[in-house]
Amino acid sequence: MRLIKVICFSVIICIAAGCTKQEVNPGPAGYVLPVPEHFPEPVFDTGNPMTAEGIALGRMLFYDARLSGNNKVSCASCHEQKLAFSDGVAFSKAGVAGTELLRHSPALINLAWANNGLFWDGGSTNLESQVFGPLTAHDEMSQDLYELIDELNAVPDYVRHFETAFDDGLTIQNVSKALAQFQRTLISADSRYDRFRLNKPERTLSDIEQRGLELVKQKCQGCHRGELFTDNDYHNNGLDSDFTNTEHEGLYLGRYRISYELADLGKYKTPTLRNTELTAPYMHDGRFGTLEEVVEHYSSGIRNSNTLEPRLPPGGMQLTAADKAAIVSFLKTLTDHSFISNPDLQKP
Amino acid sequence: MKRLFTLAIAALFFTSCSDDNEPTETVNPQASGSTRITFDSRIGNADFALNKDFTVDNKTYNFRKLRYWVSNVSLIDDKGAEYKVPDSYYLIEEVGDMDLTGTINDNKNIYPAKKRESVDLTNIPAGTYKSIRFSIGVDQKYNDNLSLVAGELSIANGMSNISWMWHSSYIFSSLTGTVKDAGSTVAFKTETGLNANYKTLTVDLPAPADFSATKEVILNVDITKVFDGIDVAKNPTISALTPALMSTVAENYSAKAISFGSVVK
Repeated sequence: MRLIKVICFSVIICIAAGCTKQEVNPGPAGYVLPVPEHFPEPVFDTGNPMTAEGIALGRMLFYDARLSGNNKVSCASCHEQKLAFSDGVAFSKAGVAGTELLRHSPALINLAWANNGLFWDGGSTNLESQVFGPLTAHDEMSQDLYELIDELNAVPDYVRHFETAFDDGLTIQNVSKALAQFQRTLISADSRYDRFRLNKPERTLSDIEQRGLELVKQKCQGCHRGELFTDNDYHNNGLDSDFTNTEHEGLYLGRYRISYELADLGKYKTPTLRNTELTAPYMHDGRFGTLEEVVEHYSSGIRNSNTLEPRLPPGGMQLTAADKAAIVSFLKTLTDHSFISNPDLQKP
Repeated sequence: MKRLFTLAIAALFFTSCSDDNEPTETVNPQASGSTRITFDSRIGNADFALNKDFTVDNKTYNFRKLRYWVSNVSLIDDKGAEYKVPDSYYLIEEVGDMDLTGTINDNKNIYPAKKRESVDLTNIPAGTYKSIRFSIGVDQKYNDNLSLVAGELSIANGMSNISWMWHSSYIFSSLTGTVKDAGSTVAFKTETGLNANYKTLTVDLPAPADFSATKEVILNVDITKVFDGIDVAKNPTISALTPALMSTVAENYSAKAISFGSVVK
């Protein structure tokens, strides 16, 4: 009798314990983003908690050409890991239409911290919304959303993965959530610079690289700020001074296209300097082919206009040849070889 | 004992786990009500229709499409308390067959003709209500995050954003057709969107209504007022690219076009 009582009691406890939310709603276990020790905490609140299952699914989708209308283009077509998830050309023709895009594909690096808008002009508030841009654009992946759901439903493995990762299974919203989760794992924080910064014994920076670091701190880190090497903000860095071309829905007007504030004419998002050696060509339109050209722009090529970033002198920074070389040397220490060879980020 | 034991376990299974994630139903001693809100599109006093000429102020309009999001509906009772209708996002539309082929890709893509002007509200707590409050458009939380769904709101619903992708947000309203002015006819497309143009309005009922005895509340939506203050023939394309005009249109939807029509008991 006593035994039965004990059993009865334990069963009650077991069942009662079974009523906690996690059990009633058997969802995937939460995932803790590994934040590099010298990075700030990422802040994003998009109703899309990360899980190992969601990330794995996002990785499958990222590399899957089914996501495009002609089943030939995947996210990775323009975001290659070996190029720090950029594509190496100014204007990609990899899209379904085969025509040149009008802006340069951005590198995908440390996106968990990119919480001030996506795209060069910040038109998208978060990765979850951004996904629908390239997915449906006729010159990019040109995908009909209903068709995509049918195509994914035809693959039992996908159905299973969606059901494990999300309570409501395979939906177009969960395609975007999974892709966002995977993209937030694209963390790069293990370059030679990082090892130097964290006083790791095995790697140091040369004298010229350290001189470059000092110059970058003084001259560049106003915008390419902190350990992320970006302030995630929008600036006019003196590329152009004429903003009268309103073609392509205001494509050439910078962030003005989104905000309609005159003060935002010619402003584009600050890209990170991390892995910059791998992400040529540079700027929103890929106009500079080399880092030397970029540094020369800041030294002598700044074009003045009402919205020019106040940190930039209208006549350029007038750097010496030695300083320019030192800056380029330092920038190359931001290349993260473990990032571009990380097996967790490769095609599954 | 054994039977009691089984019973106890059965009871646990049946009671303890059921409602953890679902809203608990409020036990209401009085019957809850339901009603229908109809957004009756009009051109002045005439019924709105597609593919039909309407002449207003010497301009002849012929409409092809009318669509807008009604969201965040709430009912305000005679004591001022607000009942928020959960997940209330409704796509109001009147469209003919629309050939969307070529908007995303070249595959044949026909959006079938649809007329939807009514919204059914159920489980309204008993009471007498004096006003209906709702918004035209989509609130910032949802407008900024296309991976969220609520009610009818979904990127996969008919009004998903395929023309304004650079903003990655919803088009709040869309009205298209042709307008003939002084002999020349131009096609027009009037769209609104963006967070600043999310507008909320409150329509007062002439007398407080008990929704257990009110079948329908009809709101008049005068489409000509959408263009109030704007010469559509001269501004045939209104969208995110014309922010000032777009904001006038958004304001017109909320402040001028919609008014109380009648109550059906």
